[in-house]
Amino acid sequence: AMAAAAATVSSAGGILAMLHEPAEELKLHALASLNSVVHLFYPEISTSIPAIESMYEDDEFDQRQLAALVVSKVFYYLGELNDALSYALGAGPLFDVSEDSDYAQALLAKALDEYASFKTRASKAMEELENVDPRLETIVERMLERCILDGKYQQAMGMAVECRRLDKLEEAIVQCANIHGVLSYCISLSHQYVSHREYRSEILRCLVKIYQTLPHPDYLSICQCLMVLGEPETVADILDTLLSGSQDDALIAYQIAFDLVENENQAFLLNVGNRLDSQTPVDPKEAAHADRLAKLKGILSGEKSIQLTLQFLYSHNRSDLLILKTIKQAVETSGNVCHSATICSNAIMHAGTTVDTFLRENLEWLSKATNWAKFSATAGLGVIHRGHLQQGRALMAPYLPQNGAVGGGSPYSEGGALYALGLIHANHGEGIKQFLRESLRNTSAEVIQHGACLGLGLASLGTADEEVFEDIKNVLYTDSAVAGEAAGIGMGLLMVGTASEKAGEMLAYAHDTQHEKIIRGLALGIALTMYGREEEADTLIEQMTRDQDPILRYGGMYALALAYRGTANNKAIHQLLHFAVSDVSDDVRRTAVMGLGFVLYNEPEQTPRIVSLLSESYNPHVRYGAALAVGISCAGTGLSDAISLLEPLTSDVVDFVRQGALIAMAIVMIQTNESFDSRVGTFRRQLQKIILDKHEDTMSKMGAILASGILDAGGRNVTIKLRSRNKHDKLTAVIGLAVFTQFWHWYPLLYFISLAFSPTAIIGLNSNLEVPKFEFMSHAKPSLFEYPKPTTQQATTSAVELPTAILSTYAKAKSRAKKDAESKAAANQEKTAAEAESKAANQEKSTEDASGSTSGKAADAMQVDSSAEKKAAEPEPAFQILTNPARVVPLQEKFIKFIEGSRYVPVRPAPCGGFILLRDTQPSEAEELVVLTDAPATGQPVPGASAMAVD
Amino acid sequence: MDPKLVEVTQLIDRFKAAFKASNFDVCSTLLSQLKVLLTKFPSLPPVFQQTPNAVEELKLAREIYEQAVILSVKMEDQDAFERDFCQLKPYYMDTCGIIPPSSEEYPIMGANLLRLLVQNRIAEFHTELELLPAKALDNAYIKHGVELEQSFMEGAYNRVLSARQTAPHETYIYFMDLLVKTVRDEIAGCSEKGYDYLSINDAKQMFKFSSDKELQQYIAEVN
Repeated sequence: AMAAAAATVSSAGGILAMLHEPAEELKLHALASLNSVVHLFYPEISTSIPAIESMYEDDEFDQRQLAALVVSKVFYYLGELNDALSYALGAGPLFDVSEDSDYAQALLAKALDEYASFKTRASKAMEELENVDPRLETIVERMLERCILDGKYQQAMGMAVECRRLDKLEEAIVQCANIHGVLSYCISLSHQYVSHREYRSEILRCLVKIYQTLPHPDYLSICQCLMVLGEPETVADILDTLLSGSQDDALIAYQIAFDLVENENQAFLLNVGNRLDSQTPVDPKEAAHADRLAKLKGILSGEKSIQLTLQFLYSHNRSDLLILKTIKQAVETSGNVCHSATICSNAIMHAGTTVDTFLRENLEWLSKATNWAKFSATAGLGVIHRGHLQQGRALMAPYLPQNGAVGGGSPYSEGGALYALGLIHANHGEGIKQFLRESLRNTSAEVIQHGACLGLGLASLGTADEEVFEDIKNVLYTDSAVAGEAAGIGMGLLMVGTASEKAGEMLAYAHDTQHEKIIRGLALGIALTMYGREEEADTLIEQMTRDQDPILRYGGMYALALAYRGTANNKAIHQLLHFAVSDVSDDVRRTAVMGLGFVLYNEPEQTPRIVSLLSESYNPHVRYGAALAVGISCAGTGLSDAISLLEPLTSDVVDFVRQGALIAMAIVMIQTNESFDSRVGTFRRQLQKIILDKHEDTMSKMGAILASGILDAGGRNVTIKLRSRNKHDKLTAVIGLAVFTQFWHWYPLLYFISLAFSPTAIIGLNSNLEVPKFEFMSHAKPSLFEYPKPTTQQATTSAVELPTAILSTYAKAKSRAKKDAESKAAANQEKTAAEAESKAANQEKSTEDASGSTSGKAADAMQVDSSAEKKAAEPEPAFQILTNPARVVPLQEKFIKFIEGSRYVPVRPAPCGGFILLRDTQPSEAEELVVLTDAPATGQPVPGASAMAVD
Repeated sequence: MDPKLVEVTQLIDRFKAAFKASNFDVCSTLLSQLKVLLTKFPSLPPVFQQTPNAVEELKLAREIYEQAVILSVKMEDQDAFERDFCQLKPYYMDTCGIIPPSSEEYPIMGANLLRLLVQNRIAEFHTELELLPAKALDNAYIKHGVELEQSFMEGAYNRVLSARQTAPHETYIYFMDLLVKTVRDEIAGCSEKGYDYLSINDAKQMFKFSSDKELQQYIAEVN
């Protein structure tokens, strides 16, 4: 019996011989036997393929399909997948789609590929293609049905999406139990894997349709989809219905509005707002409805979130003036570039906080800025006061051009002030647009025109306003290099993502003009108009990348990067890589590499791998591009690979590569601290060293100064995020970074980085859009996400002293221990324990303190403690209670939990961050509210700066 | 007893009776019925399912294919011989001792070697030899084939022609006759080149013909 167990045939010869028997039954039997042993004997069987094929081709033979199956398997094992597939199709139902063999899996994949590529071709082709092989279609359908039957819905949906079978997609979704989960899976599927924009819209439309048939539609998701689809009417309808509903419905409407605002699509938001206007129904409960509508419109206009953000950033400001002071002292003698950079660094550090203490304290120093440096310095005020919508104009008033009175102030500060107004009102410029237009029309000074064009572009970002466009165009046609450059960018900002035919006009002018600055401005502007249009932009991209003028090719790189932003589209990556290594112009190559960062920001983990070779290129421009690409796509992630890639570049042999790497590193590390990644501490010390080093050249000093600013941007309460929590792109942020990278040619554009900042806060709101007192948990060690420690007084030498301090304590403890060997050992230990206890208490206190104000010294001492002595200190608590509104950095968001049984419950369970509408479970009880204030200094301009304006 | 087994056994008996009576047409009809019946036995190769009747079934199947091979020789059908032999082979090679060896194994293997020799498929001839265990080469049936092939290759045609008399099995005669024909063709080809003319007697000796008539007949066939 043992021997029998091993009995197998050693050759298929016998079976093959039986195939030639005259009797039909024997042939069938042989075929069936062959089918079961193909995997063992395919080499032998392959010599008999013609015989089996002729059986398949014999119409009389009643097991043709079996013959086809056998032939298909043999071909599969011989590696002839195409033949294998065509015979598998001949096998009809005998080809078992649920079979778990390599053969079946491989052929199914092949069939799927064939079918999907056919469907894709069919959707692209203008003329009717020949019909798809119905047998192929049947196999794919059977496979889909199989998956649905087996409950493998995700698989089925993936295949349906790939094969462009939305009917099957719908079928799979409807049959699934967890329909909400599945729908959101589909949404992420369509964003991640569907590279064709139009088709993605089709899928989303299908999903919205399904959403709407549900008994409890998930309006939050629907509205997100509708935003991508650009259907403001439907969103307005939904919001209107919700507003007329219960209190909870209204909360959801508010939440939807906040979520939409987060995606920063001004044109869309305006559209939704306008539609809500026109349809106020006459209603008995009109007052309540009108009240809600007013609130909703407040949110949609962005005012509410801007106001709350401003209050949050002001009240939570943690900027470290000592760092700035150090920088200021260090660069006192280093010339204009570093001076300007320091002013910029200050602006970035205080972006949106309205805190201008540093400027007030250093008026004389500040007044050293002249000409364009003054332009920039004034613009910096716009960054500091970003979002100060009500007071913005009053704040800037001293610098603004007075109506009619030309020559009152310096054109540089006037231009800068207009630019600043744009920055303050970026993407929310309805209120300021008119003023900026007038200013533009009333001046002929090119510096003021420059500022006004940038300001107008920023304020009416993406609105495609015809009148504004004409105004800017008139400036462009004056053919002044300075004004024309800003005009080009301004036009692009205005037309962001519209794919308007105006781009053609701009391109024509770019060919006409002699000024490189204008061409560059226009090239970037044209690129901006193609933002997010993916394949629609291909023609224009082709046109630009084939141009003889390297500046236009350079614009083409931007166009590629922006049109395919955050899609990780293979074609775009391929093209960018091609230009990165083959173009003759360094500018084009640098931008091509940088563009990779934009294309890949939805998959930040990929970027370091993709650009790692480029970062070792012999060409410094390519290395610079690689650094920025990593910075852009891994912004705010603190990704370890990204840091590893950038680290060597920060000490590159070429100065501008160091500059780029420092800035990129700061962008990656923003909002991470030393306990999250020790290299953050190292990097901060490196920056300090570069700034203090007298022999360091200006370029990398400037990089270090800016990097210091970016690391601590927005009072250490903002991060750089290119995607909203719903995984859609944040238009303003992407545009901001794109124009920011242009600082290579024009320093004032540095300030565009402020557009990319988004506050790292959770702000809970009640139905009145007030901020109630309310607590929630962060299930992570507090130290992981706390503010960086403030620098100490001897900041200049702390980098050197910190390690020595540890050493000396350690040495002292050691020598003392040696001296008092036994007698005092016990006492010493007791003392240590007491110390540890008191420190632990200290630590506890600090964790209870919601704002996390830990005295830096205590924490320092703790570190010395734990490293120098044994770990006597109590372990850090594994969680932290936060009070509304709280600083929550992006990496921390996944640790946030709401406390069970709390009075307030969020209307949206996840994702957890940003503005969260809270349902009050005890509406009858009085609420305790948090009072947030604006800056106290509102309305008071920096006195010295006005002095600066006069000189 | 399993009714299928009974049916097969009865058919085999009928087949043997018909074979004895040299009624080959009946034999071949019965044989094809038998083969079809065999497809119902799961214990046969390539499946080798372990059923209670496995040994019986395997033995019967082997016998049937052995008979089939022998019948094909009687009917002088080389294709059928090859087909049936191929199907029989797994019973000899792959049964791993489930059934006792058959007494017909070596005679039939030997016959197959002869067939390959006759068809001038020398490569396959040697493949077959390689597949046999070393001691099989001492077997008279196998040895016969091996020696013939050696003589054939050496050009010792007289030994080939005289080996017909020493054929160890009656089925071999058919192949030996064919082989003789092959050899005579070879000789004819060579003598055409080698001699301007040959006397009848020399030719008769060279071609190993016993009578002039046979020689004349052959000459007529060749020309």
